[in-house]
Amino acid sequence: MSFFARFAQNRGALVGLIILLLMIAMAVLAPLLFPESPWRMVQRPFLPPFSQDGFPLGTDTMGRNVASGLMHGAWVSLLIGLVSTCVALLIGVPLGAIAGYYGGLIDDCLMRFTEFFQTIPNFALAIVLVAIMQPSVTSIVLAIAMVSWPPVARLVRAEFMSLRNREYVEAARLVGQSNTTIILRQILPNTLSPIIVLASLMVATAILLESALSFLGLGDPNVMSWGYMIGAARTVIRQAWWLSFFPGVAILLTVLALNLVGEGLDDALNPKLSRER
Amino acid sequence: MKTPLALAISAAALAISTAAMAEEPQSGGTINTIIQPEPPGLVLGMIQNAPTRTVAGNIYEGLLRYTTDLEPMPQLAESWEVSEDGRTYTFHLRENVTWHDGEPFTADDVVFSADVFHRELNPSARAVLQHVESIEATDDHTVVFTLTEPFGPFLISFEAGTFTMVPEHLYAGTDFRNNEHNDHPIGTGPFKFANWERGTVIELVKNEAYYEEGLPYLDGVNWHIIPDGGSRAVAFENETIDVLPSGTVENFDIPRLSAMDNVCMTEEGHEYFSPFAMLWMNNREGPTADKRFRQAVMYAMDREFAKDVLWNGLGNVPLSAFGSNARFQNDDLEPYDHNPERARELLEEMGYDGEEITILPLPYGETWTRWAEAVQQNLREVGINVRTQATDVGGWNQRLGDWDYDLAFTYLFQYGDPALGISRTYLSDNIAKGSPWNNVEGYENERVDELFNAAATAFPDEEREALYHEVQEILHEDVPVGWLMELGFPTLYRCDVKDLVTSGVGVNDGFKDAWLDR
Amino acid sequence: MVYARLILMRLFKAVIVLFLIVIFNFLLIQMAPGDPAAILAGEAGAADQEFLNQLRERFGLDQPMYVQLWRYVSGIAMLDFGYSYRLGVPVFDLIMDRLPATLLLTGTAFLLSLVLGIVAGSMAAARVKKPSGSLIMALALVFYATPLFWVALMSVVVFSVYLGWLPAYGLYTVGAGHTGFALVLDVAKHLVLPATTLALFFMAIYTRMTRTSMLDAAQQDYVKTARAKGLKPSVIQRRHILRNALLPIITLAGLQAGQMVGGAILTETVFAWPGIGRLMFEALQQRDYNLLLGIFFFSAALVIVFNIITDLVYRLADPRIKGAS
Repeated sequence: MSFFARFAQNRGALVGLIILLLMIAMAVLAPLLFPESPWRMVQRPFLPPFSQDGFPLGTDTMGRNVASGLMHGAWVSLLIGLVSTCVALLIGVPLGAIAGYYGGLIDDCLMRFTEFFQTIPNFALAIVLVAIMQPSVTSIVLAIAMVSWPPVARLVRAEFMSLRNREYVEAARLVGQSNTTIILRQILPNTLSPIIVLASLMVATAILLESALSFLGLGDPNVMSWGYMIGAARTVIRQAWWLSFFPGVAILLTVLALNLVGEGLDDALNPKLSRER
Repeated sequence: MKTPLALAISAAALAISTAAMAEEPQSGGTINTIIQPEPPGLVLGMIQNAPTRTVAGNIYEGLLRYTTDLEPMPQLAESWEVSEDGRTYTFHLRENVTWHDGEPFTADDVVFSADVFHRELNPSARAVLQHVESIEATDDHTVVFTLTEPFGPFLISFEAGTFTMVPEHLYAGTDFRNNEHNDHPIGTGPFKFANWERGTVIELVKNEAYYEEGLPYLDGVNWHIIPDGGSRAVAFENETIDVLPSGTVENFDIPRLSAMDNVCMTEEGHEYFSPFAMLWMNNREGPTADKRFRQAVMYAMDREFAKDVLWNGLGNVPLSAFGSNARFQNDDLEPYDHNPERARELLEEMGYDGEEITILPLPYGETWTRWAEAVQQNLREVGINVRTQATDVGGWNQRLGDWDYDLAFTYLFQYGDPALGISRTYLSDNIAKGSPWNNVEGYENERVDELFNAAATAFPDEEREALYHEVQEILHEDVPVGWLMELGFPTLYRCDVKDLVTSGVGVNDGFKDAWLDR
Repeated sequence: MVYARLILMRLFKAVIVLFLIVIFNFLLIQMAPGDPAAILAGEAGAADQEFLNQLRERFGLDQPMYVQLWRYVSGIAMLDFGYSYRLGVPVFDLIMDRLPATLLLTGTAFLLSLVLGIVAGSMAAARVKKPSGSLIMALALVFYATPLFWVALMSVVVFSVYLGWLPAYGLYTVGAGHTGFALVLDVAKHLVLPATTLALFFMAIYTRMTRTSMLDAAQQDYVKTARAKGLKPSVIQRRHILRNALLPIITLAGLQAGQMVGGAILTETVFAWPGIGRLMFEALQQRDYNLLLGIFFFSAALVIVFNIITDLVYRLADPRIKGAS
């Protein structure tokens, strides 16, 4: 059975994939459908949704087009989610790989380091990091990455520990491949599937984290993200429910979709497990 | 043009004031209100934070109070005289005043407070005291201040928040900041400190021994601490809270809350402070160093939009450096109207090349954030390449203190007189790194220095007026900073709370006269 | 005996970790722009250099950084957390003031999410290919995907404003003067909304976790044996599957319990809950270094304590593990 066929067997995953593709389409089409900056104040404030042509989702506190913000925001939110996950992987995968491959003292040190980061409450650390670096896309991405790499390191370490004594690894050692080559060429490719599954969930968590940071006023003021839109709308939630409703739904759907896709990937990449189920 | 909301308010205010006059105050009841943020402490003079002033202004008192037109009223001083040459001020104190611990209040307390306590601890009082040569108690109830030279705003400096009277018998000879009474402030005011549950509530109770017969009417005032603006609005809606002091709910909530039944609103009670919103523009470097660029910024901004959309039509768009509440305003100046065309011309004339500039919003809540977004968009429309620099209070302070900014939002109190609240922004000897409250923009103009300095010590007022009018013309042309708005900070309250705002500092000393018609 | 030694070992390690955390956080916070003196002066709206210098000297901020660090660390060693710059109150007192509220909130939310999550998760596992099971999982997924603060805001609007059933903010009704049972009831009412919103997210996690690990456990040999023996499915479900499936959940719950302090920041802010999370956010905004460091110390200590407890519970639940870590 092909990879996609296995993936598509999970109907939830298929739905998730469709939603996700829609979101990506929104992000890509935003500059075409709404070429104007989403920050432009174009109509009277607090225009309710579906009340005027060109403003299907109404306008916000300052007369900016919510639909435009939502589309442009898709780009930002997805990008922050994706990039911060990549950064977290760049920290977590090497650490976990080295710890798991070499074991012993190195493993001990690296794991203590990981535990150390897990001892400081996640969200609190993220807040402090953004506050210190001052809010910007870069600082938000870094802060999210800093609090989300430890689970990656632990996962990769566990995988490496179980794989490092396999025959093919021993064989590679015997033919004189260097440790780096073994780690990169032999073991890492075999740990990819759980990493990919974890990564899809991390993107979802990152989007949630970004929105929570924005809610507390720690978002980047130069980009229109969904988190920003909710944060800015929270003070007017009573007058204008739609301002926080639509971006809230967008976050919910995206996070939902990513989780469904993650499950589908899990099924598709670990066929043995899922068939037993 | 007034917006409908503003009209409705003034009509309502009129109705209230006529109604209030007819009614007989009744005693009893406790008012629940909000304090935001939680104050760091309650000893006025030692701490001058806005929330401290608001709560402790009802515990402590100054020698004088001020009407909403900033005319002095008797408080601890019953009467006062100014000598012909404007250098000697004699205050006659009330005789039946006691501190909350029962000790009598005397002229020695005044001398101690002014000459020792404030000179050591209080920067805003220090600014006034530098003009004071000596302070003497000529008898138990008379104090004489002798000035080095006439100082126009002297009589307006005795407000409780700026010039608090503190008890000599508890503080003299102690380490003020570690004094055991700091946790339990002792004043002469209408309310006594009762309890402070950190993070929850500060409770004040009626001072039964208050010197003014029958006052206060209330049994107590509870200041609730609710950190989220939305929750504060809810608390007011479900009637847990009777009074929302200005600035305690987001501006976007105000139209909705003020439209509720039995809710009244007043714009009065902030005349003493007259918060003036400004845009610092770095006069030292970058495009903002060019006068034409700064003028272009003034033309590019749609200040009426900000007033109507962000401030509910309350407040006032100023002509230049002197607001409408300031004394000696020169109203012959040409207003900087919203004129993007003119802004583009000016930018072209100076040869602006699209260099990126940053804008630093004031990290004091959503309205300010939205305002920065609006200004940023205004500037982009005329072709200025501008990026917002997000920050929190610490970062904002640091950037301004280090002059590391291009444009930055702020607001400053005007304290009733140009020599106290306005000149500090433009005097060149007030340029010093490390503070966001002095001449942060780095404006230097000898003539402006001369005029401001002369006006502060000129006597009488007619002379001051001429000098101040000239200085306004120069500032209007040079645009050292952007003048955004005189903020309208409305106070919301249940209509059965009567006589809440009776002075130019509003609820900061307002619960003295307030009563409940329930 | 084994336990005693184990606990001692863990405690020793904990002290070292805490020590490192103190230093790490100290250095981290120093990197933040601005200092408490400038912020206090800023709030006053007027400050001259003399005022700033007075404050900095008073706070010891005029000293070189290594002196400040040494002072702080040696203070901590004597369990002296210093004074809050802004409030002028010992940090320890402030934290002890606020900690009970946070523990009440997070503890309630924790138990609620754990119990409901395990119940929902095992129900879903028992109905694995049925619509009702899918419905439970779909709901859990929705709770998981919904931003916490959004739920909080919406629940205030619905239950407090429109329906008027529950108080919207605070720990108890100020000025009502409740005592005894009335006070307990009052606090319980205030607790409903914040605890529920905080619990929803974690409940979703436990639901999914329980279902997965129960399905895993159902594949194990001993379950097959039990089935072969002809035991009733409900008995197998409870005695054999659930018991074993609980182990990973305990691990996760232990990790989450400590982390809930962080999650409580949002909840406490929206509901004006006078807890430690809110105190932390305020301390950060005010650059109240001592207070912030103290809170970090205590929340890290909480995480460690929970981890140790988790370990012990784990050992009790699964006697096969013997001092492996």
